[in-house]
This record gives sequence, structure tokens and C-alpha cells, in this order.
Amino acid sequence: MYSSTTDNAWGYQTDKVKKSSFDHSLMPPCQAVCPLRMEIREYVDLVAQGRIMEALRVIRDGNPFPSICAYVCTHPCEEACRRNQVDKPIAIRALKRFAVEFGGDRMVYAEADTTHSEKVAIVGSGPAGMACAYYLRKLGYPVTVFEAHSEVGGMLRVGIPQYRLPREVLNTEVQRLAQMGVEIRTNTRVVSLDLLFDMGYKAVFITIGAHQSIRMGIEGEDSPGVIDGATFLREVNLGLKPSLGERVAVVGGGNVAIDAARTALRLGVRKVSIFYRRSRAEMPADPSEIEQALEEGINILFLVAPIRVKRRNARLSVTCIKMELGEPDASGRRQPVPIKGSEFNRQVDALLTAIGQAPQMPSDFKVRIGRGSTIQVDPVTLTTNRVGVFAGGDAVTGPATVTQALGAGRLAASRIDDYLRHRYPRVEKETREVLVGDLLPETIEMIRKIGRLEPPILSPEARTGDFKAVELVYDWTTAVNESRRCLRCGMGAEITSQDKCATCLTCLRICPYNVPHLDASGAIQIPSDQCLACGICIAECPAKAIILRKPYDRRQITEELHHILKSAAESKFKPFIVGFCCQYGLFGTGTLSGLWRESVAGIWIVPVLCVARVEADHLLSAFEMGAEGVFIAGCGEQCARENTAYWVNQRVGKVRKALMQIGLQPERVRAFTSGATDVEISKELDTFIEQIGGLYLTSTIMQEVKS
Amino acid sequence: MIVAEQKHLEEIRRMIAPYDKVVILGCGTCMTVCDAGGEREVSFLHSALRLAQAKSGDGTHSFLEYTVKRQCDPEFIDLIADKVSEVDAILSLGCGIGVQALAERFPDMTVLPGVNTSFMGMAKESGVWDERCAACGDCRLEATAGICPITRCTKGILNGPCAGTKNGKCEASKDMDCAWILIYKRLERLQQLEKMRRYYPPRNFRAIPRPKRITSKISSTGEENG
Repeated sequence: MYSSTTDNAWGYQTDKVKKSSFDHSLMPPCQAVCPLRMEIREYVDLVAQGRIMEALRVIRDGNPFPSICAYVCTHPCEEACRRNQVDKPIAIRALKRFAVEFGGDRMVYAEADTTHSEKVAIVGSGPAGMACAYYLRKLGYPVTVFEAHSEVGGMLRVGIPQYRLPREVLNTEVQRLAQMGVEIRTNTRVVSLDLLFDMGYKAVFITIGAHQSIRMGIEGEDSPGVIDGATFLREVNLGLKPSLGERVAVVGGGNVAIDAARTALRLGVRKVSIFYRRSRAEMPADPSEIEQALEEGINILFLVAPIRVKRRNARLSVTCIKMELGEPDASGRRQPVPIKGSEFNRQVDALLTAIGQAPQMPSDFKVRIGRGSTIQVDPVTLTTNRVGVFAGGDAVTGPATVTQALGAGRLAASRIDDYLRHRYPRVEKETREVLVGDLLPETIEMIRKIGRLEPPILSPEARTGDFKAVELVYDWTTAVNESRRCLRCGMGAEITSQDKCATCLTCLRICPYNVPHLDASGAIQIPSDQCLACGICIAECPAKAIILRKPYDRRQITEELHHILKSAAESKFKPFIVGFCCQYGLFGTGTLSGLWRESVAGIWIVPVLCVARVEADHLLSAFEMGAEGVFIAGCGEQCARENTAYWVNQRVGKVRKALMQIGLQPERVRAFTSGATDVEISKELDTFIEQIGGLYLTSTIMQEVKS
Repeated sequence: MIVAEQKHLEEIRRMIAPYDKVVILGCGTCMTVCDAGGEREVSFLHSALRLAQAKSGDGTHSFLEYTVKRQCDPEFIDLIADKVSEVDAILSLGCGIGVQALAERFPDMTVLPGVNTSFMGMAKESGVWDERCAACGDCRLEATAGICPITRCTKGILNGPCAGTKNGKCEASKDMDCAWILIYKRLERLQQLEKMRRYYPPRNFRAIPRPKRITSKISSTGEENG
């Protein structure tokens, strides 16, 4: 037996709601690949609803420096995004930047209390060091960050050019660290760890990055005019303006190579070329960065490697050789093989090398060094061979991404905490299952194709003159529309129990994406990797056997109704008209947002995440609460699926039938869906409100007459 | 499957009028599948009844709602026995069988039917059901190519078609296929048209005793084996 007791006046099944607070949602692929495991699906969904500040809160929960990531994250999430299989992935990084800038991240005040006495030293102030300092401070430790350069930020400061990460953004985060009570010592190069322990530090985190450029190993590499890319970027970023001449070539294909080339261009170099020994497909730099470099007039020569440099008449003559791709090497990329006799010469004023970097370890650190001069650590505890010495970031992994460094810093903070509190390292257990598997072709076919909206960028002419940020931020409408493209993977519907399911096949017949199917035993299955959480089957299931995997989504409408009921009890305005409005797009932020709770007296809005989730029961409940009229307003053409309106009309029809049987006018309930313009819908709504006013008046007079 | 439709709200309100505390009892099998009395409909009816009560201002009913897996088996009914003891009447959204099973199980309780049990049938598409079987107890589908003339012919005649067939449709309704034309076409397709030549004597409905009972038990005396 299954029962649902309804002890309150409105029939909300409260005890059932309470019982179903478990979260069965699966971890979406975007989150699974994020080094910080950020709740991407959640904040994208909040942006879609126009709840930017809440989105920022979700972002800040998972990321110590979201404004930095908003600019420079390499967004592996976008590669993993399953929307890739439909059209293009969600522009997650750009949406984060929108949330950070519009949600008021700059206003966030960070504070921390000192609850422990053990001092921790962090050697290096790059992203890993900053993150570690942030989290250790949050845990209550006194923290000191030592930085060899004059300014804090490590590669964020000396590696990444300003046009990619404006310095104000970085400065804000550094100030926030100082605000939290992190002691920051710049121009302080740590040469010996023993000294730190002598100074009373109980644990040390080494995060010195990988700043030493790898040598090309070719003839003439030491000639004047051959400059290593990392040093070049460091000098420029710390305020120097090296003069490079007219023509510059950069060797390498990673982000540093692209950064060096674009920086050279901004310093006034006329002609910048990049030599890369493989083809574009193998190029490790971010594709959009490559694209922007090409737009700016940088010439990239693929399958070309320098083999000799000669200095002649204050210029460099670089001899290059053409390559072809051979067998894949250990990294899985095809190995470049020189083509005999294909040598050619290039005359340049400077040659920047950017073929990779390695950490440069002071020998007095006495930590064990592994492959590529990186520090060897235990992958779980992050401990080195020395007691109390931890390491992370590029110094351990070799050159990697900002997000990976932040992840390493956060992990180090919790490991150092474990160490100082004499605990075994706590391994975070992920309770949620990770969603794996691709969308089926039949599912993809039914998904409405909506192109990706890119944030605006400055034109190549406008951006190459100086170091202004290239990418601009979304405007409100574009951000909301872009985030609505999210497929909400892993949040879909599930059958509460096969026993409750009557196998009536309703879900199978009405699903807009053909997701539910019968298994060999004749039971209905709703595969979690295919369902897109539209909620139509949940409202239509005659056995009420289907629920959404996320508790919040499951209760949302009922709770909002509850909320209205409570507020109405306190308010002098009776809920005269209750509207169930699509919270996405138009209604969340658009013209109808003016209808928001009580802003028009007597009109109460229940925000819903797609009107397909409004059940006939909800409409009746609104009437029972005292509403004279009830309407559903969907976003119509903006909706992610085409048959939402059909189901809304079905439910409205059912309620109208019931109203007639009760003796109420069926016109009291209406569905609106916006067409191309949203002006019409607000007019229609005005008419509806007038009509309900008329009906109310008539019924009041009739009652007077009766009595 | 048994197909039913919910009674008019007015009728339900009239039935429950004398009873203060009423349990609306759904059925999780056929009534759920045919959208007449599953948990969703129980909940919807509950809301509608409360709304009607609030709007009309008469009546002070209080309602409970439950849904059992099958009302036609006493063991499932037993599961709600203690809940039922608190109420004055049961409004059953089970089929006619469910209502009677409840009445049998609770001799002192009023049991009211919330649906009109209509027929045995199948889903044509989501939300549409067609009658297919009359439970006559004498199945002739072998001879009629799997199409039942008793339910699908308006007259239920066994040696059709009658003169009222026109372009394959029934004279009773232009939208209704003539069952016998369907039977003829399907026999033709199966190359069994000779079955059309057979004559079936009129059935003696008076001879069929009601209520019927079927038992799958083997008699312990072994007499029937002989």
C-alpha cells in the first residue's frame, strides 16, 4: 500500500515531501572533469532564472577565486558538455564571468578567525599558494605567503598577459586574502626550508610554479636576441617594455607561445610569427586563443621547427626545417619527423622560445625531485620526503592550468589541516554517481537546436594597441538565453518504485524525447543519462510514481504555493490572481518580471522552472487558496521543447472541466504563451485581469442578492 | 484492462453529503492506467471536492486519501483497514469490483462508487480507450479472425454483416467501423474466408447463469479426474 496523507488544508503532501529529501541526481560530466568539482549545472540554471547572486554564491562555494577563473579558466567542462553532441557546448566560463560581474563578487567580504596556533608557510603566491592560503585561513590557521617577485600572483601575475586577466581582478583577490589576515611577504625568496621551521612554522607548502623555460637545444640558442618566453612575459608583466625590433618569431604551440606572440604584438612589433612543429589539431593552446591570435594578424607556421640560429648584423637568421607527422608518441600525439632537405631561413630581430617550462628548485629545499625537475609527492597526502613539507601546483605537475593549481591548493589546505590535527587524511567521498554515456541519436533528434551565444570581444584593431581585456561580458538577456541551453544532465526523472508504477505507459507515450522504454522484463525504465528533466511525465503520471532526482526541483511549486499562502496570511492583499510563470528567460528577467510578488496588488506569482511542471492539482490549489483567477504563462517560442504548450493546455482544460462541475466559470483559468513579441502577452494578461475583476464583481453581487 | 471514467462531481458531492469524514480510495491497477482513479486522480478529486466545498459554503467534510495496489483483492484492502475505521464512508475510485470487494470486507461501512465502470478494453493512444471484450464466456475469436463481433458490432450479431453497413462503416455511427467488414477483410488476408460460410446459431443468453465463478482448484475427491 502506498498512501499520501493530507493533513493541511491545501492538500500539499507535506510528509511525503519531507521524506523525499534525498538527492538522486547524478554528477554531470561538466562537474566531473572540473578540477574544483564546481556545481556548474546548478549555477548555470540559476543564471537561467536570473538569480545571479545565488549563482555567484554557488560559484564562490566551489572556487576561492571565481573572478580569476572567469577570465582564464581553460574550461574542460565545456569540452565535456553533452550539448556538444547536439550543437555547441554551453559557454560555461563566460557565464561564470557574467555571474561574477553582475552578482557583485567585488563586494564579497572575506573574513576568517584564527582558531589554531600552528603557523603555516606557503612558498610561492601563485594560484595554488593563494588557494591554499585562502582555505587554511578559513580553517583558522595563521598563514604567511612568501613571494620572490615584487608582486603577488605567481603565473597569474607574471605569466598571463593583462589582456587575458586584468590586474584589477587579481588585485581584488589578493586584497581579499590580506583582508582575511593572510600575511603576504613579497620580494622574499625562500632559500632554505630549515629556516622556515626555525622561524616557528609547523608546516610548509611549496608551490613555486614552473618558471624556468626549457632549452631548445639547438645551435646558437645563446645568441643575444634569443629570449625565453617566460622571462619575456615576466618582464612585460612586471612593467618593463623590452624593445624587440620589427620582426619577432615565437617557437612553441602552447598558451605561453600564444601569449608571448600577442604580447609582442601589443608592444608594437610589426610582424609576429609562431613556429610550431606539429599541426593545428595537435596545438595545446586554447583554440579560441589561437583564433584570436590569427585575427590579430599573427602568422602561425605549422609543421616547422628551428634547427639553427645565427646572429648577423644585429639580426637573427633562423634556419627552420619542415616537419611531417609520423607515429603517435607516448602522449598520444603524432610525432613530428623532419623532412630532409626542406630547410629554409627566416630573418628576425628576436626569437622567443616557449616550448615548455620546468620548476627551478633551490637545492637547499632538500626535497626529492622527479621527472622534469618536478617535486615528488604522495598523490593522496601531497607530502614530500620531508616531514611537514607539502607541495603542489606546477612545481609538482609541470606546467598545468589555473584551475588545477587551485584544486591542488585546496587539497593541500585540507591535507595540511589533517597533518597539523594529527588525523589520517580524509578522502572526500563523492556520494553521487557520475553521469556517463552519450545522448542517443533519437534523443538528440528531439532536442531543439539553439546556437551558442558567444560573449562579445573587442575587434582586433581595438585590442592590439594596448593590453585591454579582449573579451567583454555578456549582457543580461544573452547570458540568460545562453544558460537556458543547458540540458541539465543527470537531474532527470526517476520512478520512485517499480511496484507503484502501474506500467500504464503514459510516460513512454508522451515523453518529448522518447526517453522512457520498456526493459526485457516489461518494466518501464527512464535512463538517467538521457532524461532532460522537462517534468511532463511527472505531472502526467496517473500513479504519481515519477519524481525528479533533485529534491529542490521536486518540491519547488508546492513550496512556492505554501509560501504564498503564508505571505498572504500576513498581507492585507488577498491573493486575487495567482499566476504560474516560467521563471526562465522572459519572466525571470523580461517584461513580465514586473508582475513579481505583490508588485501589482493582488497578483501573486509562483515562479516555475518550465510550466510543463505545473500540475492540474496545483491550479486547483491556487483556487482553493482564494484566488479568483489563475493563469499559467509560459515562454512559448523560447521554450526548450515544442510540446510544452500542448500539455499546459491539456491541464488547463481538465481544470476548466472541474470548475464547471463546481459551478465556477471556466474562463477563470487561462494559459498564456508568448509569441515572437512579449508586448502582446502583457496586454492579453491585462484583459484577463479585467475579466476576472468583472467575474468577481458579478459573483459578489449575486451573493448579496441571494442573502 | 477494465476501463472507467470518473463520475460527475455533482453526483459525487450528492453521494457524500451525509458523511463527514470520507476517505477517497484509489486503485493502483486498471483505474490508474485508465486515468480514472489512480493516485493523481485521487489527489485531483480531493482538491476539487475541497474547492467545491469552499466555494459553495455548504458541507464540512474532511477527506483522507489513499491508494491501494488493487481493490479487488482482500489482502490489499486489509492494509488500510485501520485507516478506514476512522471514517464515515469510503469513496472508492476502484471499478465496480473494487467497490463490492470493499463492501464485502467492511460490512458496517458505506462504500460509494466514484467512477462509472464502463468496459473492458485497450488503449488506442495515450488518453483514449476502446472497448474490446464483453466477457461473454464463450469466445468465438477463432472464427472471426481475432475481431469480436459481440463488442465491436453495435448489434453484437454473430452472422454479420447486417444491411446497415455502408462503405465499411456502421449505420449507427459514421465514425465506427463495421465489425463484420473488418472480420471479412482480415479473414481474406489470412486466406480463411471459408470461415465466413459457417453459421452460428443464436446464443441463449438466458442459459448463462450469473454470477459466474471460476475455480482453478482441483477437487480433492478426485472425481473430476475420472
